Amino acid sequence: MTEQDPLAGQPEAKGPEASAEKPVRHGPPIVVAEEQLNERGEQTAEQLARTLGALALDAAGRDDTPWARVDASQLHRAAEKCRDGEMGMDMLNLMLAVDWVDRIQMIYVLYSTTNNRKAILKADLPAEAPKISSVTDLWEAGSWYEREAHDLFGVEFPGNSDMSPLLLYEGFEGHPGLKSYPLNDYEEW
Amino acid sequence: MSTGPQFDSVDMMLNMGPQHPATHGVFRMVLTVDGERVVDVTPHIGYLHRGTERLAEVESYGQVITLFDRVDYISNLNNELAFVRAGEKIMEVDAPERAQYIRVILAELNRVASHLLFIGTYAIDLGAMTPVMYCFRERERIENLFEHVTGARMMHNYMRIGGVKSDVPDDFVPWVHRLIGDVRKGVEETDKLLSTNEVFLGRTRGVGIIDGPMAVSCGLSGPSLRGSGIAYDVRKDDPYEIYPYLNYKVPVGENGDCWDRYYLRVLECYESLSMIEQCLNQLPDGPIMAAGRRIARPPAGEVFSHSENPRGDLGVYLISDGSDKPYRVKIRPPSFCNLIGLRPMTIGSYIADAVAILGSLDIVLGEVDR
Amino acid sequence: MAVDANNGAQNLPLFVPQKWEREEGGRFFHTGEGGDDSLGKGNHPAPNRINNVAPGVITAKLDDLIAMGRSNSLWTLTFGLACCAIEMISTHMAHHDFDRFGIVTWPSPRQADVMIIAGTVVKKMAEPIRLLYEQMPDPKWVIAMGTCATSGGPYYRSYSVVMGVDHIIPVDIYVPGCPPRPEALMDAFLKLQTKIKSDAKNHQIDDLSEHTAAASVAEVTSATATVEESA
Repeated sequence: MTEQDPLAGQPEAKGPEASAEKPVRHGPPIVVAEEQLNERGEQTAEQLARTLGALALDAAGRDDTPWARVDASQLHRAAEKCRDGEMGMDMLNLMLAVDWVDRIQMIYVLYSTTNNRKAILKADLPAEAPKISSVTDLWEAGSWYEREAHDLFGVEFPGNSDMSPLLLYEGFEGHPGLKSYPLNDYEEW
Repeated sequence: MSTGPQFDSVDMMLNMGPQHPATHGVFRMVLTVDGERVVDVTPHIGYLHRGTERLAEVESYGQVITLFDRVDYISNLNNELAFVRAGEKIMEVDAPERAQYIRVILAELNRVASHLLFIGTYAIDLGAMTPVMYCFRERERIENLFEHVTGARMMHNYMRIGGVKSDVPDDFVPWVHRLIGDVRKGVEETDKLLSTNEVFLGRTRGVGIIDGPMAVSCGLSGPSLRGSGIAYDVRKDDPYEIYPYLNYKVPVGENGDCWDRYYLRVLECYESLSMIEQCLNQLPDGPIMAAGRRIARPPAGEVFSHSENPRGDLGVYLISDGSDKPYRVKIRPPSFCNLIGLRPMTIGSYIADAVAILGSLDIVLGEVDR
Repeated sequence: MAVDANNGAQNLPLFVPQKWEREEGGRFFHTGEGGDDSLGKGNHPAPNRINNVAPGVITAKLDDLIAMGRSNSLWTLTFGLACCAIEMISTHMAHHDFDRFGIVTWPSPRQADVMIIAGTVVKKMAEPIRLLYEQMPDPKWVIAMGTCATSGGPYYRSYSVVMGVDHIIPVDIYVPGCPPRPEALMDAFLKLQTKIKSDAKNHQIDDLSEHTAAASVAEVTSATATVEESA
């Protein structure tokens, strides 16, 4: 583990009213974990590197799950390669959006039922008008995950025909998954 | 194709839910029917969307465990286990062996309790009123034990990152031995009563078939996926806790119909009970909590960990920014993914079978909507 | 003269309390022992002044009688929202056996008397809940089961949760707990029965509050009607 400056890499404070002044962080310094793959993870990482080739911008991993970051415009191609290539990733196990304030990251956890291996694809989107091509044509499971990400984070998925609200309702304003969306405050009385 | 005169017919829309006794909560589906046949089905969810994932970002790690209790409110301990495992992975601590045994015993008991609830309510969906009484009788016994151990019937908040809250009471082992005998008898009784009943077979055999590749593509997991012949069980494929030291089988179905999905759960009850017996015989002495800080403040980083819930593969994607609150918690809800399989299963079946198919997926709306 | 049940006349009932006496005409009257309001012992009925005149006849306010009937056959709407629904089902099932209070679960709002809000009410579900409440015939009662239905509970800070179901519909009984034990739900129903009976006792035709309540119901109805029209 390595120590780093407490405020470096610290995400912006939550809530619109708090963003006016720079947050002062108390407490112990932030520790960043070293990501390390185990033997099985190394094998999967090799497979993933072979499959993606030049598409992978960045790669690392933890335990048995390697990840590779690809360009948002190439994600569909990379996902297709993972599904149809030697990795045989036939299940979209999980898909999530993460709000890093300056960008939105899409994370796809893929799983192969035949080889019993996991791998993760990541793609960075701009914070304003995030948009990434749909993977519904590759995995059925994509459709609902995408609708959820659209509800909570406002990510657009061209290629997904049905983008009606899934968890929220028609007329809900804002995207509550974003860090900037305010939560109710406690009222003591 | 009939050779008679062709008539134009208009498809009818049929709304089910959100208040409907057979939807197991606040689930709504709109069936498009042509006569008695279902042409299309549109599920509507979100009637229990409580914003758990967003709330977890403003709660400390210890508090998030209580939210996980309420995500899947039928198998609370399995959910706690999923989160504390993710927390342990990111903090790089291991729970002591005794704590792991206790967790597995409780999680497997919770699996039996959850499956019992499924069997009972599924029988109600199909018109049989008696089995649910039997099942709840046994479930009540299990909940009594939970109350004895954790202090609560449902929302336990018992597991901690690095162990469990408190050691089990002195009479735990004999109590569980007695409990297993009772519950096994109860499961056998229900099994004999229901599983091979002619009417029950007629309602479930060959209904709601989904083939393996489609099930995988929809992201199904747990008994719903294994019913289609895909042997995917996290306990076997990505072993965690002390599962590698136990001797058990994972039942796998063949046809992918409702009866297979139902019967796998019955078989899993027997397997779980035998696993608990093995755990009790192996239960070691020792500490129940890993040494270290009481307040979790994990290093910045991200982990994905998953475990086998009664409904399937429950994953937790946990991102930490180094503070005492998670930066992002994403739950991989098995019921949510299983529900994606509802459409391919239901299209082409009868309206009455839609209820049987939905019931066989064993969804929990708290987990679907989070 | 005290009458022994076994040695009495032909038309005597099997059990006759000791403190009752029989006069020549075959009538019973009370000896005054224990007072009129004391309860009978064992299987003996509580003494009632009317029996002095006409045995086997009860008089009571019609309101009281109706309230007695209502409170002993409360049909609840089969309607579970979240975690508390599991405890609600447990209460109905074999071990706790809700049927012994005359409480039966019924899947349609049209025949239901009580609505148990068992779980978190989210904003998307608010409209259907109000619709269900409107569909129930009067008189109707609502029990808010658990902290979520009472005040939002652990989801107080959430963006999608209604801070208590009383923002949407009137609530009669609040049950604390997360989730409440089955015993707590039973207690809530006993309280509700008491409430129904005491409401009938205190019922006065000329009570002004009656009109106020009717006005508020009308308001709610018109609000729902507007929503239905727009939908």
